[in-house]
Amino acid sequence: MGDVMGPDLISDLPQSIIESILMKIPIRDAVRTSILSSKWRYKWSSITQLIFDDKCVPFSSDREYVGRSVTKFITRVLFLHQGPIHKFQIKSSKLQSCPEIDQWILYLSRNDIKELVMELGDGEFFRIPSSLFNCRKLRRLELSRCELDPPQNFKGFKGLRSLGLHQVLICPDAVESLISKCPLLESLSVSYFDNLALTIRAPNLKHLYLEGEFKDIYLEDAPFLVEISIAMYMTDDIAEHFEQSSNCNFVKFLGGVPNLEKLVGLIYFTKYLSIGIDSVHLPIMYNNLETIELYQVNFEDTKEILVILRLITSAPNLKELQISGSSNIAVAADIPDLDFWEKECLSGTTLNKLKSVKLSEMGGWSHEIEFMKYLLRRSPVLETLNIIPCVFDMENNLRMLMELVKCRRASTRAEVVFYRE
Amino acid sequence: MSEIDMAVIKPEMMKPYVWLQTSDDSIQQVEQEIAMFCPLICQEIIQKGLGSSKNCAICLPQQVSPTMLSLILDYCRFHQVPGRSNKERKAYDEKFVRIDTERLCELTSAADSLQLKPLVDLTSRALARIIEGKSPEEIRDIFHLPDDLTEEEKLEPLRNITADPRIRLLNRLYAKKRKELKERERLKNIEVEEELVDERSVDDLLSFINGNSGESKGVKTSKNKKKNRRKKEQQKHSLKEEASELNKKEVNGHDIRHRSSEAERISETSCLHYAEDGTITPKVEFDDGDIDDEIDPALKEKIDREVEDFARRLNSDWPERMQELLSSGQERKTMHFTTDGFLRRHA
Repeated sequence: MGDVMGPDLISDLPQSIIESILMKIPIRDAVRTSILSSKWRYKWSSITQLIFDDKCVPFSSDREYVGRSVTKFITRVLFLHQGPIHKFQIKSSKLQSCPEIDQWILYLSRNDIKELVMELGDGEFFRIPSSLFNCRKLRRLELSRCELDPPQNFKGFKGLRSLGLHQVLICPDAVESLISKCPLLESLSVSYFDNLALTIRAPNLKHLYLEGEFKDIYLEDAPFLVEISIAMYMTDDIAEHFEQSSNCNFVKFLGGVPNLEKLVGLIYFTKYLSIGIDSVHLPIMYNNLETIELYQVNFEDTKEILVILRLITSAPNLKELQISGSSNIAVAADIPDLDFWEKECLSGTTLNKLKSVKLSEMGGWSHEIEFMKYLLRRSPVLETLNIIPCVFDMENNLRMLMELVKCRRASTRAEVVFYRE
Repeated sequence: MSEIDMAVIKPEMMKPYVWLQTSDDSIQQVEQEIAMFCPLICQEIIQKGLGSSKNCAICLPQQVSPTMLSLILDYCRFHQVPGRSNKERKAYDEKFVRIDTERLCELTSAADSLQLKPLVDLTSRALARIIEGKSPEEIRDIFHLPDDLTEEEKLEPLRNITADPRIRLLNRLYAKKRKELKERERLKNIEVEEELVDERSVDDLLSFINGNSGESKGVKTSKNKKKNRRKKEQQKHSLKEEASELNKKEVNGHDIRHRSSEAERISETSCLHYAEDGTITPKVEFDDGDIDDEIDPALKEKIDREVEDFARRLNSDWPERMQELLSSGQERKTMHFTTDGFLRRHA
């Protein structure tokens, strides 16, 4: 006689709980539950979330084979699925563009899809079919490595809250139009575009993430922006455009975002903002701005330093500051422009809430040291100043340390921490 | 709720304890603050004013046994304290779900009935972690699931039987074949009936003459069966031969008409092994006796393969996709279920 089996522990739990359990395990395991027992045969088939990746199929070193297996698997799952599908995600580097994908999107458009995430393989870009634009209930759309061509009469996704376009082939007008036709858009992420001049009209936008070769970014109508993160790459084209520009980018970019809480700028962002900055007086204060992170700032260029100073003095509630220097400054050209700093010191504003500062890639150049002294003198509640040198020159590092030790500090609690490699 | 109701309830709500009745009908006194963490209990107290005394104890759902209630109250007691950090809460949760699977399932059920969503999420995640990555046998073992799917169902667990293109193809072929057979039967209908009656009487006479009724009858029947088989085979291949053997075989036409579709299918496939010389060879491949709707799996496998060949020959320009599906069914794989095995039928 074998063991006496206890009563079935799990099959009689409410279907909603079973579904929530099945959605917490990989799709392959969820589908396999159909052979557990007769009660479990179709329990998986009404889950509302389908998340696929290369791990859905057995491993094989043949990329094409894996891509085809994944396609077959997804087609079969969709075919056997019953009921609405709220989230569909496929992230596969091996899945190649194929006609089945058109059918999946058509099927999803008929099944109340709310969240669609597609990140396909490195081959030929998949062209998104027009049935995507019929997905009326779409709330989140993330596309990578595809081609998107919204139809002329497309009225927008009325419920879309989050849009992500990464390495998507789409004409610039279409991007702007798409953004402005989605009135509820709260989060926008656009990356790896070439030479894009973007104007953003999104009255409800709260989070903005941009990365790529941008010629121009104009936040025309985005008054509720709370978080901005921009990484701007440089090309010759863009460099030329910068030279010839007569705008004040600072105002154009940050002029309409009074609710900003966090600003992150990478690569050439500070340079972009520095154009036209010395000609204009800044009109607004950013009362909610608590975190500023600017990377790859060129301390040789006083205009870029001016960007930082203008920002931090317009943010009375700033708590955290992270700046990283540009480590490709020529060694020789270090002539301190002390006039600049004298002028700035006259203004007298203090950074009353600044608690934590991190400066990395510091080469020990005069402007960097002056900046550190500026911060130390004007931050009455500063707690930590972390300095991470780029390890080029011990001489410079020593000079930096000597100046810092000498400097008067406004905050008695300030700890200056210097990191050694 | 009217003002009066609120006035009546409010003093009740000031009491620190509520009375709860669990599934075994026992009644417990519990600190109100903690019990109110459960939405269902909260609802019962506020909307119905229950729980203030032993007499009007809140009757908890059937899934809440005393042990479960005590576990749930521990959970509520910890989490309703506002000052705890997220890290503390997470650490507590991790420890909390380290219980045996049976209690975990019971707890999920109880928490769900009390509408305590955070606990349901926690236990669901724990159950998901248990299921993830395990083989079906292991899962059945842990949760005491009955292994009540047939082998066939397991190997094709996800096929919506009528929707599968292969099965649709098979059905179409069978229907076609059945129609053809029916046509031919109709042609000999009247004659056969009469012949049948005659044969019987001759048989009787013969057996009487020969003196061993049972035996001859038995021989005759088996002969009939074999001839029956051959008859069907011949129908497939040549009408000429059929005509020549019509006298002997007509009695069997009656039988054929009444055979199930399965038998016809069997005969069709065995026709592929037809012996041209027409001799009666004992065929031991199957029992005529137990032809019913269920088919022996091994035989089914053979039939499938043969019908596929047949299908290909009939429909040589079938779309590529069908070909692919059919050929994938030919591959031999182990019984262990994988998602690639959707169309793989037998080991």
